[in-house]
Amino acid sequence: MRTALLLFGYALAVAWWAPALLSRLTAQGISPRLGLAAWLTAMASALASAAAALEFLVQAAVAGWSRLAEVVCRSVAGHACAQTVYTGAVFEFTLAVITVVAALAAAAVAWRYGRRVQQVQRQTRAHAEVARITGRRLPGVTATVVLDAPQPAAYCVAGRPGMIVLTSGALALLEPAQLAAVLAHERAHLAGRHHLLIALTRGLAAVFPAVPLFARGPEHVARLAEMCADDAATRHSGRSALLAALLAMAADAAGPASALGAMTCAVAARLQRLADAPRRGRHAGNGLALAAATILLAGLPALVATLAGAVALPGLTG
Amino acid sequence: MHGFGDLEAVIMHRVWDHGGPVTVRELFEELQRERVIAYTTVMTTMDNLHRKGWLARVKEGKAYRYTATASREEYSARLMREALDGGGDTQAVLSHFVAQMDGEESEVLRAVVRRLADRRPR
Repeated sequence: MRTALLLFGYALAVAWWAPALLSRLTAQGISPRLGLAAWLTAMASALASAAAALEFLVQAAVAGWSRLAEVVCRSVAGHACAQTVYTGAVFEFTLAVITVVAALAAAAVAWRYGRRVQQVQRQTRAHAEVARITGRRLPGVTATVVLDAPQPAAYCVAGRPGMIVLTSGALALLEPAQLAAVLAHERAHLAGRHHLLIALTRGLAAVFPAVPLFARGPEHVARLAEMCADDAATRHSGRSALLAALLAMAADAAGPASALGAMTCAVAARLQRLADAPRRGRHAGNGLALAAATILLAGLPALVATLAGAVALPGLTG
Repeated sequence: MHGFGDLEAVIMHRVWDHGGPVTVRELFEELQRERVIAYTTVMTTMDNLHRKGWLARVKEGKAYRYTATASREEYSARLMREALDGGGDTQAVLSHFVAQMDGEESEVLRAVVRRLADRRPR
C-alpha cells in the first residue's frame, strides 16, 4: 500500500512538474531528438507508475479486505493504528470501493483512449486511399502524389507505405532544391513514425485534459518532431534550401493578420532556429541535461517501487 | 509510373479521362497496349472500386458500364478541405510541412520573416 501511494505520488509529481522542466530544456530545440525522447519518457514514466500503483492497490484488495484495511491503516497511522479501527466494516468497505472505482476509471480511460487512436487510424487510411487514387504520380519520386489544387500544401499521410502529398500549387511555388528539402522533411516524418507519436500523445491529451504533462505534451512532441524532420532535411538538402522552402510555403500559409501578435508560433520558431543554427554552435550541456532527465524519468519508478518495497515490508509483517 | 504498383489509381484516372461510361473490355484493351495485364485483373479491380464507392455501374446487355461517382477535382477538393481546414484530429492524421496558422500566428511569423530578411542580405 505504501508502494502504491509512493508510486502514485511520483506519477503526480512527474505529471505536474515535468512539463515546466522539459519545456525549458527543449525550448531552443538544440537536440530535438533527445528532447522528444525526454517528453515521451516522462509520459510513459507517469503512466507506468500510475498503472503500477493501481496494480499494487488491486493486489492488496484481492489479498483480503481486512488485510487491505490493516495495510492502509498502518501506512497512514503506523503502530498507533488500533485493532478496532482496521477491523471496522465501514473502513474495509470504503477501501474496497476506492479500489473498484479506481480500477473501473482506469479501464474506462483505456477504452476511450483505444477508441480514439483507432478512429485516427481509420481517418488516416481513408485519407490515404483517396490521395493514392486521386493523386498523380510525380515522375522519378517514389511514394509521392500530386493533387490538382491551387493552394500550396505539402504533407505526409501514414500507411503501408506512407505517402507524401503535394499540391500542384506547391510544385509551382517551389524550386527544385526547395522541393527536395520538403520531400526530405516529409520522408523524415514517415521514417521516424512521427504521426504515431502525435496520435498516441494527442489521445492521451484527450483522455487526461486536466493533467499538465499530457495536456501540454502533444504540442511539444509535434514541435520537436518538426525540428527533427528539419534537421534531416538540412542534412539532405542544405540549410538554405530548407529555409527558402519554409519561407515560401509559410508566406503563403499565413492568413489575415490580427491585432494581437504576442503568441509564439511553431513555424516562426522553426525559421528562427534554422536561421540561428550557424551562430549557436553545439551545446553539449543541453544534450547532457536532457539525457540525464530521460534516464532519471525512466529509472525512478523502478527505484521507488524497489525502495518502498524494501522499507515497507518489515513494517507490514512486523 | 506506378510507385505503389497501384492499378486502382491507374484505372480511376482512365475512367476520369474518358468522361463518359466505360466497360471493362474497353479499359482492358486500352491498358493492354501499354502493359501485360489480364482481363480478369481489370474486372476484379473495377469491381473493387465499385464496392468501395468510387465507380457506379449500369448493366447494359451482358456487360456493365462504369462511371466515376465523383470527378477527380471533387476528390481533390475534398482532400484539401480535410487537409487544410483541419477540424477533428487532422493534426494526428497529417503532418504538414508548414502548419496552418491563425491570424496571430501569421503576425508572429511575419515579424520573424522581416527580422531574417533584414539580417540576410539578398
